[in-house]
Amino acid sequence: MDRDKPCGPAPGGGEWPAAALTQEREITVVRRMSKKAFLPLLLAPVTALSACSAGGTSDEAGDGTTTIRLMAYATGGFKEKYIKAVVQPFEAANPKIKVEYDPVVSSAEMLGRLRTQKSNPTVDLAIMDLSVAESANKEGIFTPLDPAAVPNMKDLSEHAKVRDGYGPGVTFDNLALVYNTKAVTTAPTSWNDLWDPAYKGKISISAPPQLDGIGLTIILSKDLGGDYQTSIDPAIKRLRELAPSVQTWNPQPDTYTLVKSGKVHLALAWNARSQLQHDESDGALNVVLPKEGSIMQVNTINLVKGGKRASAAQTFIDYALSPDAQARFAAEMFYAPTNTLAKVDDEVAQRTVMTPEKLKTMIAVDWSWLAEQRAQWTEIWRKDVISQ
Amino acid sequence: MPTSSRSSEGGTRRAAAAALLTPGLLALGVSFVVPLVWLARMSLNRTVGPAELQPDVSLSSYVDVLTDGFMWEVAWHTLWLGVLVTVLAVAVSYPIALFLARTRSRLRGLLMALAIAPLLTSSVVRTFGWLILLSDDGIVNSALSTLGIIGEPLTLTNNVTGVVIALVEIMMPYAILAMIAGFGRVSKDLEDAAGSLGAGRLRCFVRITFPLSLPGVLTGALMVFVLTVSAFITPRLMGGGRVFVIATEIYDQATTTLDWPRASALAVLLLLLFGVFLVLYQRLFRMVEGR
Repeated sequence: MDRDKPCGPAPGGGEWPAAALTQEREITVVRRMSKKAFLPLLLAPVTALSACSAGGTSDEAGDGTTTIRLMAYATGGFKEKYIKAVVQPFEAANPKIKVEYDPVVSSAEMLGRLRTQKSNPTVDLAIMDLSVAESANKEGIFTPLDPAAVPNMKDLSEHAKVRDGYGPGVTFDNLALVYNTKAVTTAPTSWNDLWDPAYKGKISISAPPQLDGIGLTIILSKDLGGDYQTSIDPAIKRLRELAPSVQTWNPQPDTYTLVKSGKVHLALAWNARSQLQHDESDGALNVVLPKEGSIMQVNTINLVKGGKRASAAQTFIDYALSPDAQARFAAEMFYAPTNTLAKVDDEVAQRTVMTPEKLKTMIAVDWSWLAEQRAQWTEIWRKDVISQ
Repeated sequence: MPTSSRSSEGGTRRAAAAALLTPGLLALGVSFVVPLVWLARMSLNRTVGPAELQPDVSLSSYVDVLTDGFMWEVAWHTLWLGVLVTVLAVAVSYPIALFLARTRSRLRGLLMALAIAPLLTSSVVRTFGWLILLSDDGIVNSALSTLGIIGEPLTLTNNVTGVVIALVEIMMPYAILAMIAGFGRVSKDLEDAAGSLGAGRLRCFVRITFPLSLPGVLTGALMVFVLTVSAFITPRLMGGGRVFVIATEIYDQATTTLDWPRASALAVLLLLLFGVFLVLYQRLFRMVEGR
């Protein structure tokens, strides 16, 4: 039964979506039949009622508002910034839709939760890393979007488009170098600065299966004149020379804390969170995009299959992809917008990968291909790099 | 008559016991058995491609794990760490436990509380504590360099040394508790008797006290071993990504690589390993007791 339709009358003379009207017809049919068999008559109101109560008192209140649940990152300031830049303005623009933010630590954990509620999802939307979303798409946890309901999709960058119309990219991030500004007087400019003996014992890199180490392998492969899909041997050989200089392959509690406190001087990290940490630490930590370029990380916004509020959810997706919302979130947290029409201040643009000259240096990554290699790369790293 | 009344009494007692056990068994069933069954079922599924979970009944995850050379290395490493930490933790805790079991001091209660107090703090906090103490500019390294014992700071964190140090300390309260419980039956009279028959202190300890305390030592050792082999937090936080044990492997497979069947298979294998050690322990315990 489609539960898109709130139980109350259509407010403000508004029209219910087509699906809801179909349901109306179904109920009428049930009622007509019930003249002969009165059990369905008894059951019809019960099911109708339970449809409402299952949706929950919070989902579809009597005043006709729909509450959609958005699962997204809990950490690194994402939640606060996203609510401020996207969720609240959305609610102001769409008074009939409320958004409940369901914070989860990582994309992997999101997939875990979505797997357990696959048959009866309570979440409508999820923002997660593209590589994880690919698995969820294949498992049938997400469903393709309706292009008519999400017109902003057509203005997205090529990097943000996902096969078969599944949830597209909503933010771009990139791998970067961060350093402690007290300990490091000359800012690093190249990934090769990691091999500078001055940093010996003061380097932090999150090793595979984390994307940081995977990304570094890709970048080095290209820098050494090869291609990561052909062979990573040259990159691994070079990384092996770096291994003795590395303090930790698993920064705890996280990279930013170690760099800010000076325990680590130079580290691999993600641009958006690093920019935020730079501002919040009054410049104790700084970020650079090395001249050789980098890899992009894409977060996609996905529609959960079997979700009961698909139409409201797609209204939100369209808003999240709109140039305004994209620009606001970029200004708040330095994720580059995926909508090519988003207008961002030059100062903000300089701190993301969205400037054309920076975009040019980004190395294209085949995430589906890479996902297949991830376990193997992890093992190669452990055997040939970390053990050094 | 007496027989029938006794049996009906027994029946009532059994019914009462069943009634009293039911809530506990239900709670255990829901919180422990059901997830384990779910886990065992998950281990029979398959992962297709990168991380796509496919329902199935196959042993492919087990085959993958058992034919993976690296996994054997991880398992070996885990056992080695378990044995090392167990030996060290038991050795350090033994004197404390023996003292606490024996002392007639009025402060005994306070001392007991102090020995067990670390359990009030989560091992996450204690591991972070060790990270600070053992870091390059931490208290240990600065003390050693001020004393002129070392020139360069020792690398005591982000490697296996740090993991062992932190784990030994974290396991000590468990070892102490288990051993005190086991020492209860070591009678002071036997030591006095040995002394009156001319045994010196050392001889008395080697011939009387230690053999009698072995059941306690074994219980403590088993506890520490099982907790160490399944320890996840300390190897993860303290190991700097260099220490691979089965528990961290399960975590990576479950949360990063998203290969749930493989993670579940590993968990089931680890559980079987515990079973083997439990049987070994019981054998050993009976041997020690039977003497």
